[in-house]
Amino acid sequence: MPSENEAPAKPAATVETLHAVRRLAAVNPEAAAAGLAPGQALAEARAICPELDVLEADPAADRAALARLAGWAERYTPLAAPDAPDGLVLDIAGCEHLFGGERALAEDLSARLLRAGLEHRLAVAGTHGAAWALARAATARGICIHAAPGAERAELATLPVALLRLDARVVAGLRRLGLRSIGELARQPRGELTARFGPTPVQRLDQAHGAADAAIAWPRPPEPWETRLAFAEPIGTADDLARTLATLAAALCARLEAAERGAHRFIATFLRVDGARPAIAIGTSLPGHDAAHATKLLAAKLGEIDPGFGIDAAILTAQDIAPLRPPQRRLDDGREAATGLAATIDGLANRIGPSHIWRSEPYESHVPERAVRRIPPMTATRPAWEYDPSAERPIRLLRRPEPVEATALVPDEPPILFRWRGALHRIRAATGPERIAAEWWRRTPDDSRKETDLVRDYYRVEDTEGARFWLFRAGLEGTPRWFLHGLFG
Amino acid sequence: MNVSPITPNPRARFAAMLAPTSHGVWPFGAAAVDACLPGGGLPLGVLHEVSAPGLDGETGAAGAGFLACIAGAIGRGREIFWIGPAVADLHPPGLLSYGLDPGRLVQVETPDDDASLAAMEAVLRSGSAGVVVGEAGRLGRVAARRLQLACLKHGTTGFVLRRWPYGRKPAAEEAIAAVTRWEIAPAPSAVIERTPGAARWRVRLTHARGGQAGGWIMQAREGDDDGPHPLRVVAGLAAVAAAADAERERSAG
Repeated sequence: MPSENEAPAKPAATVETLHAVRRLAAVNPEAAAAGLAPGQALAEARAICPELDVLEADPAADRAALARLAGWAERYTPLAAPDAPDGLVLDIAGCEHLFGGERALAEDLSARLLRAGLEHRLAVAGTHGAAWALARAATARGICIHAAPGAERAELATLPVALLRLDARVVAGLRRLGLRSIGELARQPRGELTARFGPTPVQRLDQAHGAADAAIAWPRPPEPWETRLAFAEPIGTADDLARTLATLAAALCARLEAAERGAHRFIATFLRVDGARPAIAIGTSLPGHDAAHATKLLAAKLGEIDPGFGIDAAILTAQDIAPLRPPQRRLDDGREAATGLAATIDGLANRIGPSHIWRSEPYESHVPERAVRRIPPMTATRPAWEYDPSAERPIRLLRRPEPVEATALVPDEPPILFRWRGALHRIRAATGPERIAAEWWRRTPDDSRKETDLVRDYYRVEDTEGARFWLFRAGLEGTPRWFLHGLFG
Repeated sequence: MNVSPITPNPRARFAAMLAPTSHGVWPFGAAAVDACLPGGGLPLGVLHEVSAPGLDGETGAAGAGFLACIAGAIGRGREIFWIGPAVADLHPPGLLSYGLDPGRLVQVETPDDDASLAAMEAVLRSGSAGVVVGEAGRLGRVAARRLQLACLKHGTTGFVLRRWPYGRKPAAEEAIAAVTRWEIAPAPSAVIERTPGAARWRVRLTHARGGQAGGWIMQAREGDDDGPHPLRVVAGLAAVAAAADAERERSAG
């Protein structure tokens, strides 16, 4: 990407190796003025222009830069795609009025590209094929050519057939028949063209004329719930960004509310002038269209956005859309309490991460670690728990049972003392054992441990101080190994 | 001209605003305890501090059991937020025996103590919780003051359970900004045939604004015979100490 401070400009070209010959891949305007063109052998080019600067072509970086440019072009329309190797295609249908019409949009785009130091040619037309051909037929930079609606046929007639995106072999074949312009091609019988060159020439002709649809691979599917805001001048201060969020959220939430929908996720994407797209996302536990709530949650994350040299457009997307009826105002304000709780939980979840806030529900498993399952904290009904006095569970369950040194008089009895974390505990009372076996259906086939090794005998013990512990003895055979798994309050 | 009446003493008005019993109290049901507390019970809608000496300062087990008994009974059945860096070890099925429905419980795991106190304040201020319990190693004066004001906003009761990671020294005691401060340690239960009885705690009320200090042995509700109250006062600590002295004298003499 040439920049303006590289003065004075020298002829330069990128070079690639094609069939063991070093050839020019691209040339800058100075090199083109010296008579060089892409495809020329490097040796020949050096002979014509000895002071030529040569760089190795990097197609992967070119593609990446083009993709970044396509992302930047989303300031004009959500449908912007890179058109390798050197083009961009924007579907501006329905967006042009936001910029004052097609011509104004094209001039704005052209001015911004020039400011970024990007050579370009630009065309606006009714079909992708026509715009493609007209843009590449232009000779001077930055000129906007407008094909009037329905006039594609006349405008394209004089252009060479190569501009129909046909491959070189087909173009050469057409030239042998004396068909040089698109107009001449269009006058030929379609059946014979297809029989000789396959379906492509006729198909491309129809696409350029608007008689057939063209498929374009957009980098991301169009989002139905999206608002965007493009700025005349790049912005960068936190206040401006927060105001932008509020404006976008108000517009998007008004649409959601009108459609009686709510979103679980809001994503704000900022299009930076250098093509980067920093984004922040927030989630809500209840679907919502409360602009103030969404703005507040998003604004809390604005610190993550690095505005760089400025941000010249912002997009707010709502995802996970669910139907939402207007809030019910009931006498017992049950719903209002629920939405207040949801707002509180959202505030915490977006600050510390949604995986760090949870409710627990019982799970059908007698293995203590697996008897509880975490669920999202906002549920329609609270999980139902039942107290089983025969299976008391500790109030603190260690993540992993910790081995303890225990002394038991009789192997089948609870220990009389044990040492844990350096402190000795004498046991004055104990109850148990409660035998808990591993769930055999969860074992992997290559697990070589014996069934009897996977049995735990749990004891509830109380030491002389009154502290209560949940100990277990692992395995039925061999030396008993004791572990501490939890503490009672 | 409409002149608003000048409060004679702003300090008195502020004190009235911070009156510990403006949101009601929760009586322990034992005259000995309730007499030590302002208004005849645990003040609601204010901040309380609970600490545990020794091992329990690291495991937070005894304090959690004691708090579970109280939290299960107050907060009008609304959500109980339990916030802390090590809150993942709080085992919901273990709360059932203290009369707390784990369905009410929302656990919030925070990266550190400061985040815990900030999260506590946010939940207290929102007024959408019944009870908020926060685990933190230290509770500074400013943080406690902020939490106290957050409690008063909607009358939500807050508890700070002092807990520090294993092997770390407990933070020095700070000046008290909470309305009450409790010290909870386990106490030997009534053992029947070597089987432990209902959980008991050595409960020391070390500070109560507008009340006085005291100490008791309390026991968790065991069955329907105990009545509806989740805590039963077994004895005063003074009586326990006297009994222990007598025991020691008898065994010595």
